[in-house]
Amino acid sequence: MRLEIGAFHVKDIIFGEKTFYQAGVLTLNKDELLNVVKEDEHITTADLKIVHPGDNVILCPVKEAVEMRCKVSGGHGIFPGVLSEMEVAGSGRTHCLQDCSLIVVGEHAGGFQDGVIAMGGKYQHHTIFGDMPNLVLVADTDEDFERHEQQKKNHALRWAGMRLAEYIGQCVKDLEPENIEVYDLPSIPERSEEVKQLPGVLYVLQPQSQMETMGYNTLIYGWDANHILPTFMHPNELLDGCMVSGSFMPTSSKISTYEFAVNPMIKRLYAQHGKTINFLGVLMSTLNVKMDEKVRCVKMAGQIATSLGAQAAVVVEEGYGNPDVDYTAMLVELERLGIKTVGLSDECTGRDGASQPLVSMNPATNALVTTGNVSQMYEFPAGMEVIGELEALARDGNSGGWEGCINPDGSFVMENNGMFCANHISGYSVRTCADF
Amino acid sequence: MKAIHYINQFFGQIGGEDKADQTPIFHDGLIGCSMMLNAMVKPDIEVTNTIVCGDNYITNHTEEALKEIFAFLDTKEFGIFFAGPAFMAGRYGVGCGIVCKAVKERYNVPVITSMNEENPGVEEYKSVAYIFKGGRKATFMKADITPMAAFAKKIAKGEELLPAAQEGYFPRGIRAEIPEPNGIMAADRVIDMLLKKLHGEPYQTELIIPAMEKIPPAEPLKDLSKATIALVSSSGVVPVDNPDRIQSASAQKWGKYDISKLDNLPEGVFKTIHAGFDPAAMCAVPDRGVPVDAMRYFEKQGKIGKLYDYFYVTVGTGTTQAFAAKFGKEIAQELHAANVDAVILTST
Repeated sequence: MRLEIGAFHVKDIIFGEKTFYQAGVLTLNKDELLNVVKEDEHITTADLKIVHPGDNVILCPVKEAVEMRCKVSGGHGIFPGVLSEMEVAGSGRTHCLQDCSLIVVGEHAGGFQDGVIAMGGKYQHHTIFGDMPNLVLVADTDEDFERHEQQKKNHALRWAGMRLAEYIGQCVKDLEPENIEVYDLPSIPERSEEVKQLPGVLYVLQPQSQMETMGYNTLIYGWDANHILPTFMHPNELLDGCMVSGSFMPTSSKISTYEFAVNPMIKRLYAQHGKTINFLGVLMSTLNVKMDEKVRCVKMAGQIATSLGAQAAVVVEEGYGNPDVDYTAMLVELERLGIKTVGLSDECTGRDGASQPLVSMNPATNALVTTGNVSQMYEFPAGMEVIGELEALARDGNSGGWEGCINPDGSFVMENNGMFCANHISGYSVRTCADF
Repeated sequence: MKAIHYINQFFGQIGGEDKADQTPIFHDGLIGCSMMLNAMVKPDIEVTNTIVCGDNYITNHTEEALKEIFAFLDTKEFGIFFAGPAFMAGRYGVGCGIVCKAVKERYNVPVITSMNEENPGVEEYKSVAYIFKGGRKATFMKADITPMAAFAKKIAKGEELLPAAQEGYFPRGIRAEIPEPNGIMAADRVIDMLLKKLHGEPYQTELIIPAMEKIPPAEPLKDLSKATIALVSSSGVVPVDNPDRIQSASAQKWGKYDISKLDNLPEGVFKTIHAGFDPAAMCAVPDRGVPVDAMRYFEKQGKIGKLYDYFYVTVGTGTTQAFAAKFGKEIAQELHAANVDAVILTST
């Protein structure tokens, strides 16, 4: 399967008369774009803003981040099975507005799963989004059934983000990309003998799929990941939009839709392919709530890995707490089968730092990369401009906030838990944990 | 910032083993290695006093020793407390640990000491004090005081404290988030670790999972109706006056109580001292923690042969694995000697 990512490196986003891209500047017609947002009658109010790295701005409550893209050939849409017909992603040409993102923020209501992004100040670099210009959609909906629910599906807002990302992406459909990234990975038997001699490596992804009620979990081609068994996939499918981030669980351990596709871990494995490893592909697994489900998925994933002749695997857990059981079990099962593993996830060490960092631990998991600590406390100064409604952090059951976490002067304290996708389980994290 | 330094009878120039029962001496100024420490922490910190105490006295008469030390410290102004270095000297290490723990709890100031990794004080007190990794004997005095002093100066100046490995103390069981020291992103760290692991080269995991000792389960009982069964519990149920002074959390002791003449554990005679849950229900019916009533019932029914004459108890909350394993070994040895066939462990 061969995918060409045509890159357009966005250095700035501005509003203008027309929507077009030229020489690093993405110009957007606000009214035109708001009409796209309001195609969904459930969106009641909407506005667009632009933020830049270093702005003294907080975004809250952040629901989603998406890369603005368009499909040029080899498919019909950037989210197959969601916004367009079901077809396998990962072939042909996709044009991407890189180095920037579209962020969706609730105008008022937040929830357990939403987050905070800082564009400036001490925590600017805690998310990749603080280091790039972003188009921010701030909107409200009439989804009253969940307005006062702690867990929100955020359906209208998330889908508005996807529609808008695809609409804006169309402006580079007919342009010549500034460079083209090629992701070409033939079927396993078709690879050269030299490549086959290299150790076969799998990317084992455990996306968040623990919610039994539909509408919250990570989607794979629009299918709720709770309803899959371990499946072998091509890395290009992810790079080309087969995954849509869910709306469940503390946000800092989540992988945004932006990161599922831009996926630095898959790109690093690609870069090693043919040099040091034979990148076999993606083993898509799940995170489960019941013990028998955890065991079933882990055992079946182990079988697939063995049948594919994997010698090593990178196991990635989108979550923490209960799903640590699935994470550790997957690592242990693969090691038991003689497959060398490296784990990629975050830790939860508690307010005092003294809690067991993973719910389930096993000495067989001897190569773990840590991306952050959900319990870490962050103190924000007063005086930052807010896009959205900061009160949502304290009021709406955010996983990193609590009643009283915002001081009267506007300064506030929060746990890492509530910082949007901040532990970058996708592989972007430049943080770790250490013993003190 | 001011500091006070605790050392033992040997380094306090009183004498050796024969002077180990020395009660605390409070110097107006500095003595022995306190002077070296003071020279190293100047000018950010001034070490004002040396406390000298015999190793036997602090370990065998802890309560009295601490009372005297507190009486002195209550009159002093200090922001940091030092003890040792204790090298490989076991009782000195434990003494430094006892004093550091007590000072930390009473005055909530940073407590800093140094011990060799084989000193038993390390395992017991590393969670409450900054215990720097020290040499085996007193020839390492200067080398061991140096990192203690450097670290204290950082505290005094309000500088950022680095992880245990970089500073040189034994990890206290606390983990926190840090920027990746070289700014390398996680995906690159994964690739580096993966390639090293594949090639059998050394690599450093970012989260060390401690090895767990696997204990094979005992053989099943052949005949329950002939078996002597003991009750062992972490519920903290003890006679109301808690005669063995078992701690309500982070227990360092266990107790053993006679139930040979009891059919249950009456309210007001027994209670729980466990600090990890609301004790009301268990104090009202202590059998909820140590089910003597149920065991007597089964004994009368002939279901079990006999309930052992003593129950064993400690408190589970906050108790370290090291202490729990030590209690387990000690209790198992007694039960084994008393020909107890099986144990029911109750937890909370």
